Amino acid sequence: MQFRFEKRAEPSRIMLYATPVAAVLLTMVLGAIIFTIIGYDGIGAVREIFFTPLTNSLKWQDLAVKAAPLIIIGVGLSIGYRANVWNIGAEGQYIIGGLAATGVALLTQNMSGWWILPLMGIAGIAGGAAYVAVPAFLRVRLKVNEILTTLMLTYVAVNILNYLVFGPWKSPTSFGQPQTVAFNESQSLPYIIEGTIVQAGAPIAIIVALVAWFVMSRTIFGFQINTVGSAPKAAAYAGFSANKTILLALFISGGLAGLAGMLEAAGPFGRMVPQFPSNYGFTAIIVAFLGRLHPIGVLFAGIVLAITFVGGEVAQTTIALPNAAVGIFQAMMLFLLLAGDILIRYRVVRVVVAKGREAT
Amino acid sequence: MQNEVPPRLEMTGITKQFPGVLANDDVSFAIKRGEIHALLGENGAGKSTLVKMIYGIMRPDAGEMFWDGAPLKARNPKEARRLGIGMVFQHFSLFEALTVLENIALGMDGGLSSRALEARVREVLKAYKLTLDPHRVVSTLSVGERQRIEIVRALLLNPKLLIMDEPTSVLTPQEVTQLFKTLRQLASEGCSILYISHKLNEIKELCDTATILRGGKVVDECDPSKETSKSMAEKMIGGDLKAVAKGAERQFGEVQLAVRGLSLGRGHDFGTALKDISFSVHSGEIFGIAGVAGNGQNELLAALSGEQHAKADGVIELCGKPVGTSEPSTRRKAGLCAVPEERHGHAAVPDYSLANNGILTARHRRELVRSGLIKHSASHDFADEIIAEFGVMATGSKATAGSLSGGNLQKFIMGREILQTPEVLVISQPTWGVDAGAAAFIHQALVDMAQAGSAIVIISQDLDELLALSDTLSVINEGVLSAPMDVENASIEEIGLLMGGVHGETADSAKTLPTKPEAEHAVQV
Repeated sequence: MQFRFEKRAEPSRIMLYATPVAAVLLTMVLGAIIFTIIGYDGIGAVREIFFTPLTNSLKWQDLAVKAAPLIIIGVGLSIGYRANVWNIGAEGQYIIGGLAATGVALLTQNMSGWWILPLMGIAGIAGGAAYVAVPAFLRVRLKVNEILTTLMLTYVAVNILNYLVFGPWKSPTSFGQPQTVAFNESQSLPYIIEGTIVQAGAPIAIIVALVAWFVMSRTIFGFQINTVGSAPKAAAYAGFSANKTILLALFISGGLAGLAGMLEAAGPFGRMVPQFPSNYGFTAIIVAFLGRLHPIGVLFAGIVLAITFVGGEVAQTTIALPNAAVGIFQAMMLFLLLAGDILIRYRVVRVVVAKGREAT
Repeated sequence: MQNEVPPRLEMTGITKQFPGVLANDDVSFAIKRGEIHALLGENGAGKSTLVKMIYGIMRPDAGEMFWDGAPLKARNPKEARRLGIGMVFQHFSLFEALTVLENIALGMDGGLSSRALEARVREVLKAYKLTLDPHRVVSTLSVGERQRIEIVRALLLNPKLLIMDEPTSVLTPQEVTQLFKTLRQLASEGCSILYISHKLNEIKELCDTATILRGGKVVDECDPSKETSKSMAEKMIGGDLKAVAKGAERQFGEVQLAVRGLSLGRGHDFGTALKDISFSVHSGEIFGIAGVAGNGQNELLAALSGEQHAKADGVIELCGKPVGTSEPSTRRKAGLCAVPEERHGHAAVPDYSLANNGILTARHRRELVRSGLIKHSASHDFADEIIAEFGVMATGSKATAGSLSGGNLQKFIMGREILQTPEVLVISQPTWGVDAGAAAFIHQALVDMAQAGSAIVIISQDLDELLALSDTLSVINEGVLSAPMDVENASIEEIGLLMGGVHGETADSAKTLPTKPEAEHAVQV
């Protein structure tokens, strides 16, 4: 029996939504097999990584904490990707956003007031956007590929962070630890549910996704982003400037990554430390694709990836699975998703071999 | 004796089913030896499918094909070529950077030394009086010369059947004459020719027999010389064909579009620079721009639509206002709508619904967007209005543009621009790949628009179309626009020479020009 791909008359909407789900399920199956083969409890690994975070209500607040930055960055990236702009360096913009917010916090160390947090938020957004401005202008003016520039600037950002926390920003009372002073109450996100670790980041993530959904589906700006991304010549014909769209798309993705950085710094971290880069910026790429570059899809995809993060920590303690296992699961998910995408435009058909020709 | 000779190719009961369409339904016809046989039909009538099966690219689901009386069993093009079936495709497969000879060598199945091949090529060129320098680089050749490479390629195989797919769509009248001479000579030597076209006067001039397909079925087989273009067209579309009513004695008004000294550099390596183009179009006037593809038509359209900016604002004037450096949206608001030739990905976004494709260009003039918010119900209403008024075959405003056939999408695009009632409409290839019924409809819509006072610029490679529609005509060649001429007094000969420009051997072949198209040329097919 032979199979081959046959082009569909129209892209399949069912497959568009079914393939992300299939990718997640297939990741579980393949993951279980692979980890069994290399000598771990494969089924246990899948159970701990994908299901324990959901069944154990104590883990739900962890999910909210992890999902928030993934969703905020993922929404921004998905808008950029829709415009065919490939910002791979959200991690860097996240770091610079966090640093900008920390800068504000250090300047307002002995002050208090409601205005400090919003100011840190603005600084975070501005920091992320300013950091992506470099690749943005290189792309628009000199046609430099933004994939490389955004990615490489991530490593620059890591070193700026290290320089600051080991040097000028190091807390005088940290006993040599490379970290800034802890943020005061006016500089830290409020808890939205008493007695939990869920801070304002989670509701902000939901708001960001909803606003992005509205903008992308109801406004001419979203229409412009989509058109420039999917048919650049048609966009020029329609009167949409490709360069302006590219700049805006990059600023939005950089700005949202910066906002996520601020929320992390003022939230779970509460100060700036060398461990601040936590791969959210890279994982958000998977989130954006798993969510089909749709803000609401990203919302769900962010939760799925957060599950693997939380589950990975569980699996480390319960079945001694190495931390890298989570990376394998996440990468497998993206790979299977992208591979499965062929089913959107193609269908699998059985090749019926004519009897007479089988002999030859 | 004569009738004992089996036909060169006979097809009986050929049926081919694709998902959703029956491309060929019980098709039977035969091509005699040395016959020039036309295969006539609208887009989607099943011509290409049939040819692909003869050439071994596809296999029929049912029915039989006979080659000189024996079953035809070509499983791929290579086997078909070995049997003596040659094919010249509408789109050439040539490497621009290689020479004629190198291109021919690449397409040969058997190994032949380059010297032996050159000798063979020169033999063929001489035998058929074809002018072509084997050592020229393809990128320097005109379209007619490029087609000759493909013909030589086919002739080198000593074909018994030559299939020509829409061979004249890109040729100047002189090149068409030259091609017909070659084909007649081939036929007189016993080679059968299957000539696929929808240009009826060419078929009348060239072909011995015509098989007419409609909706995958053979509807008639006739002798073109005994038919009129109109009668064949009606068989093709299966209904009455209304000639375009040009609207006698239209009054021209003010100048609506004036272009003065428009020059633009080549946009990219294979682009054409525009050189000092000037013309003006009045309200009520249809201004035609003829020319062989790739002579600056796309660049001119982009400069008019605003996708490319002119060097100075005053170079293009729209209703008296300079717009040479304004954006497409600004020009649209000021009254200029344009339709580029490429429908998929340029004039329309294939993945978008028809409603969204309406927003693409009509958002200002039809107020589909208010303070940045898309008015979805208004845009669906607008798409539905286009579908209804222009008879677009679509499932509704939610259908994607990519799901429409070429002709229907073109009708939708034309409708989208015409319903914006622009003061100036610039269109490239209004009826390319559109079936006869739709073409007549689009032509009538354009004439009616001019009647209502719009100024219209039509850029087309189809000379018959331009002669039927325009009041004034210019020819574009290598980015230079000829002086406008009154269509009433224009000579085909002169237009042909202008189209050939500096390209080729127009001077000598000008002696054997085709007769001026009959009055029927208003019947566009």
